[in-house]
Amino acid sequence: MIPNELTITQAIKELESGGLTSRQLTESCLQQIQSLDGALHAFLDVYKDEALEQADRSDMRREQGNILSPLDGIPIAIKDNIMVQNKRCTAGSKMLATYNSAYDATVVKKLKDAGAVILGKTNLDEFAMGGSTEHSAFGPTKNPRNPECVPGGSSGGSAVAVASNMCLAALGSDTGGSIRQPASFCGITGLKPTYGRVSRSGLIAMASSFDQIGPLAKSVEDTAIILSIIQGQDNADQTTANVEPFIANWENSIKGLRIGLSKKTWATGGIESQVREATEESLKLLESLGAELVDIDLPYVDEALAVYYILMPCEVSANLSRFDGIRFGARKQDLPLFETYAESRAENLGSEVKRRILIGTFSLSSGYIDAYYVHAKKVQTLIRQGYNEAFKSVDLIVTPTAPTTAFKFGTKLNDPLSMYLGDIFTVSVNVAGLPAISIPCNTNGGMPVGLQFMAPWFEEAKLLSVARFLQEKLN
Amino acid sequence: MKLTKDEVSHLAILARIKLTDEQINKMTDEVDSILEYVESIQKVDVTGVEPFAMPAKSQGFRADQAFDCDELTRELILENFPDRTGDLLTAPGVFLNPKS
Repeated sequence: MIPNELTITQAIKELESGGLTSRQLTESCLQQIQSLDGALHAFLDVYKDEALEQADRSDMRREQGNILSPLDGIPIAIKDNIMVQNKRCTAGSKMLATYNSAYDATVVKKLKDAGAVILGKTNLDEFAMGGSTEHSAFGPTKNPRNPECVPGGSSGGSAVAVASNMCLAALGSDTGGSIRQPASFCGITGLKPTYGRVSRSGLIAMASSFDQIGPLAKSVEDTAIILSIIQGQDNADQTTANVEPFIANWENSIKGLRIGLSKKTWATGGIESQVREATEESLKLLESLGAELVDIDLPYVDEALAVYYILMPCEVSANLSRFDGIRFGARKQDLPLFETYAESRAENLGSEVKRRILIGTFSLSSGYIDAYYVHAKKVQTLIRQGYNEAFKSVDLIVTPTAPTTAFKFGTKLNDPLSMYLGDIFTVSVNVAGLPAISIPCNTNGGMPVGLQFMAPWFEEAKLLSVARFLQEKLN
Repeated sequence: MKLTKDEVSHLAILARIKLTDEQINKMTDEVDSILEYVESIQKVDVTGVEPFAMPAKSQGFRADQAFDCDELTRELILENFPDRTGDLLTAPGVFLNPKS
């Protein structure tokens, strides 16, 4: 048994029985990072010494019978747009190449209080904008299944770290699919919780009304363990919801479960045949296990991508205005005020980031704001109503996570729109604020394919129960 | 909606991002194709529909009071300031006329 190959659930058993120490587990992950990360570049920073110290303290707590949580001693990686106090947080950008985090994100505080071992920070598309991690200012991350292919994005580093056993799980963030799509491309499990389930305090904001932090892990059960720890209302984030906490409720049957398929989704041109085959196989399996596949009409699902690519850039243009070279980040010195802003930003923000800021600036500018921003907010209302209606007749909705498997580097760089179209199945989830999970489906040895389930608001228990059940049957 | 290069230049000024002529040309083409795609929302009839807004949750604003932070946090915040001499923080003057 190689410790870094364990799931969290398996590692917990080994730690409990004394078959393994957190030190051994952590060393095993660090060794894997050492062996593979030169080639894969999943990590931007590795906290080797602190991780080993945290592991030793965990082992001492365990000896004294004082473990803090099920995650005590488990090595986790953190996407580098989530702050760990007194550690660099780059958001994948030159602008923050030397920025030192002033405080812990709430989720990081919770992981530390739970005794988790924090291995380091993982690579991402700059400011979480992208679907391939090619837009990182620090170089791309490679897909471990085929290093000529992208790992997906924007949480590409986290997905690769999990998929290549450099850690047992990782945190990512998801605004339009950035946890689910890289999970799909790398063959692992990725969960985006309901908007408001997990605090965004300490997450470098991209689009504040869509962003959510969530786990990438080797199994659905593992994502449940992490969600249980990181969830919760937070005074530091007014958008966190006052709801019953998620508590895992594993059911061992899906007989009678009604799973919605939107005809429009499955009829989309541009679904790669490998994706279609693998996901349709999984649907057949669901039916054979007793689920009822129900045709549903999801109105405006086509427009959801357009709504997202108006609303998200609008929020981006506002959220990134703080990167002006004045209080933190890179500053072009000795210029008057306007030039300080304009040149600090020109030199230190990448082209994808600039593109989105400009689109957002346009959509919010007077003369256009009604036709773009306000109109998109109204269509968002209709999209949410559409989901509300659909969930009256089904328990969950299923789609492929992405229309393709991981593509080769450079394929989509010359055409930003083609990169955006990759989000077609994931974005409506963020627009509606729903919880969604991507699990790998069987692909006859081809590149990984993800199947996505979405549930009504705050029904992670049902979502994860069904996903885990299917995952077991697929394995 | 096709944007002119002048309009894109204007957006760059609003966004406080300096763009070279070459970048403006490239950005104009790229933004055009993206706007063409997102304009599909115009087809959706939104008569009588309210723009989506999260229900306000906070019970009013917090008091406008300064509060202390611990020494480590304070030092980390100051450490990130690009031009600092002890507790003196240097920034460009705001007294010049802004570009419109």
